[in-house]
Amino acid sequence: MSPLLEAVHAEWTKLRTVPSTAWLLLTLVVLTAGVGTLATAVVKCPATCSEDTTKLSLTGILLGQAAVAVLAVLVMSGEYSSGMIRITLTAVPRRLTSLAAKAIVLTGVVLVAGAVSTAGSLVAGRYILPGNGFTGAYGSETLSLAAGPTLRAASGSVLYLALIALFSLGLATALRDSGASIAVMLGLLYIVPLLTDLGTLDSRWQHRLQEWGPTTAGLAIQATRNLKTLPIGPWPGLGVLALWTAGALLVGALVLRLRDA
Amino acid sequence: MSTGTITPYRSSQQPGRDDFGHLLLSEWTKFRSVRGWLIAMIGAAVLTTLAVVALAGIASGKGNPGADPTNVTGPGGEAVTDNFYFVHQSLDGNGSITARVSSLTSSVLPGQVPVGVTPPGSQPWAKAGVIIKASTKPGSAYAAVMATPGHGVRMQWNYTNDTAGLPGAVSAASPRWLRLTRSGDTITGYDSADGSHWTEIGTATLGGLPSTVQAGLFVASPQYISGAQSFAGNNWVPLNTQAAAVFDRVGLSGGQPGATWKAGYVGGLSVVDGPQGPGGQGCPQPTPGSVCVGKHSEPAGGLSRSGGAFTVSDYGGDIAPYVAITDPLGTVLKGTVIGLIAVIALGALYITAEYRRGLIRTTLVATPRRGRVLAAKAIVIGAVTFVAALAGAAVGVPIAERKLNSGGWVASVYPVWSLTSAHGVQIVVGTAGLLAVAAILALSAGSVLRRSAGAIAAVVVLLIVPLILSVILPQGPADLLLRLTPAAAFAVQQGTPQYSQVMHTCMPYNGCFPEAPWTGFAVSCAWAAAALGLAIYLLRRRDA
Repeated sequence: MSPLLEAVHAEWTKLRTVPSTAWLLLTLVVLTAGVGTLATAVVKCPATCSEDTTKLSLTGILLGQAAVAVLAVLVMSGEYSSGMIRITLTAVPRRLTSLAAKAIVLTGVVLVAGAVSTAGSLVAGRYILPGNGFTGAYGSETLSLAAGPTLRAASGSVLYLALIALFSLGLATALRDSGASIAVMLGLLYIVPLLTDLGTLDSRWQHRLQEWGPTTAGLAIQATRNLKTLPIGPWPGLGVLALWTAGALLVGALVLRLRDA
Repeated sequence: MSTGTITPYRSSQQPGRDDFGHLLLSEWTKFRSVRGWLIAMIGAAVLTTLAVVALAGIASGKGNPGADPTNVTGPGGEAVTDNFYFVHQSLDGNGSITARVSSLTSSVLPGQVPVGVTPPGSQPWAKAGVIIKASTKPGSAYAAVMATPGHGVRMQWNYTNDTAGLPGAVSAASPRWLRLTRSGDTITGYDSADGSHWTEIGTATLGGLPSTVQAGLFVASPQYISGAQSFAGNNWVPLNTQAAAVFDRVGLSGGQPGATWKAGYVGGLSVVDGPQGPGGQGCPQPTPGSVCVGKHSEPAGGLSRSGGAFTVSDYGGDIAPYVAITDPLGTVLKGTVIGLIAVIALGALYITAEYRRGLIRTTLVATPRRGRVLAAKAIVIGAVTFVAALAGAAVGVPIAERKLNSGGWVASVYPVWSLTSAHGVQIVVGTAGLLAVAAILALSAGSVLRRSAGAIAAVVVLLIVPLILSVILPQGPADLLLRLTPAAAFAVQQGTPQYSQVMHTCMPYNGCFPEAPWTGFAVSCAWAAAALGLAIYLLRRRDA
């Protein structure tokens, strides 16, 4: 086996044997699908027929991402708090190989759990929304992955969660402390949507913040309607989040490479 | 085996006093001796202040119709609405005005009711009554006693003050007698169901009232605000209304001899109800004091007299404080979430660090009564956070308010609240309280979960995500979130005051909270208390 594969195997063993992993992945699925189900259950057509039903079904991602961030932070900073990091780096002296192995395992796990969460949300929306009046008569098609925009929103949401995981991993590698890492990460995720949802900021600033905020830009991938009114398009938005992720991983890699563990 | 021969070892040291003060001191020492925590706490306060001020810098009012409503201002300098139909005489010096209201009808004009909106039967805050006003100039000082369709008899003065009198609606079978008497700057309001048994409702002191004032009858008919938050955003539907009232037994004492009643419209309101368009398609260009119903223009109010009865009508006026729809200060204060996340992290770490380092075992050996350890920690982290946040808010809020004023949000609607005024205390002390409660909630979560990352994430999701969801969800579930989750405490940061006597649709999208500020704060306190209770229970039951 190549050193990277061996490292991946070691990381997979560590991740699956820590009890918090299962709990956090369960939290991700339950929060995402649960909040998505509640959000679709409270809307009624014809009162709000113009609603983007796909995006609405995927509202839970907004909460589920917090569980992903915790999981990703613990993958790295958990080792620093327990001292495990020294054993890891003794076993895999090439530090970037170790980071890459962690990233690969984390991405795989989050992609699978994210796909389950997204599928659960969409299935709930598919069965609940027609009962609330969202039928073809009002231009709301039943949610289906056969529709291009819905497929983009669904696959994009899974990718979004994976990017959030890698972003958090990079940040935790740079900061090492789990408390500081999760606080900074959640601040980056939640402050921009909180500020820009209320329409009293200067419109240029509002636009700019939404364009560059990791959550607001990244979640543009969920939109299936009125794409022209979005501050940033779906794929460019996910691209902005990818830039944040790449930046965090780069800083994390540099810190890991240069600083004593 | 003999017992009693061996004396067990006893330390010659005096046993330590089982003193809560010492426990507090030791917990404070633990907090202040971790240099990173002190720096983080001060940094949180400074960052919050900077964030709030920076946001105020980019919260430009330019282009926002709510920023400068070009309203008249009342005696206190606050923006007011002052449009009504007024039947009046001059009153020299002291005197009184009395009238009986035997009918008050109110209805919504049909022209602008959108499809899908069921118009209400009446505007509950339509007003008909007696008034003493400094002059007919809009915004001048006044005191009035009035009947309303939905809120009984009220005494109101100088726009912002409102006191309830007799309950119930007006009808011919149950008329309302209303009276105002002036004595110097003091005006007293009375009501009566029969004209012989009078009850005092309240007393208003109108500073600097001129010796000659206008006294008489008035009718005002405010807009009915319909609509609710929906996914498409803000769905604010103001509906024009009209009201008419019949007065009789009108008596004025202290008037000038031989004077007659003058009638006219106060304020330059014009109401357009129905489609407006060129070529006779709709309403002509409205003139002040006129209303367009259907396609024809008519005066916005009127008076007809028969015998001793006065029938007074009005379209679309009100005498009330101006209530802004938008809340720029509330939005800008959302910058405190930066500090909030930092104190959540500190609150959680304050206990999880003890588990990580094993210090918790030393702590619990020193203080075997475990509940007191958490209580002391909660007091220390709560107090430290409160003081730091109070300092940050006391500096940041006034600067942010001035920045908003210079950015186009007019000071008559968005004033700089004095730090000692009730509203200033609500915003500054409330913000400090919000952060302190969040720190205690995080401490409790940290004690229950024993892991910092999970505890911090749980509290952030509970406190901040409801705010984000409340803007995307429809009104019903959004209100529930802001009532029941710890995010209810953000109600203390509402910058624009709400008046119960002004009809208003409270939408989270506009930064409005369904609960009163301190009620919302109490909801969050209940969460923190419950979490702390659970943490103490588990700390006593589980091994450390």
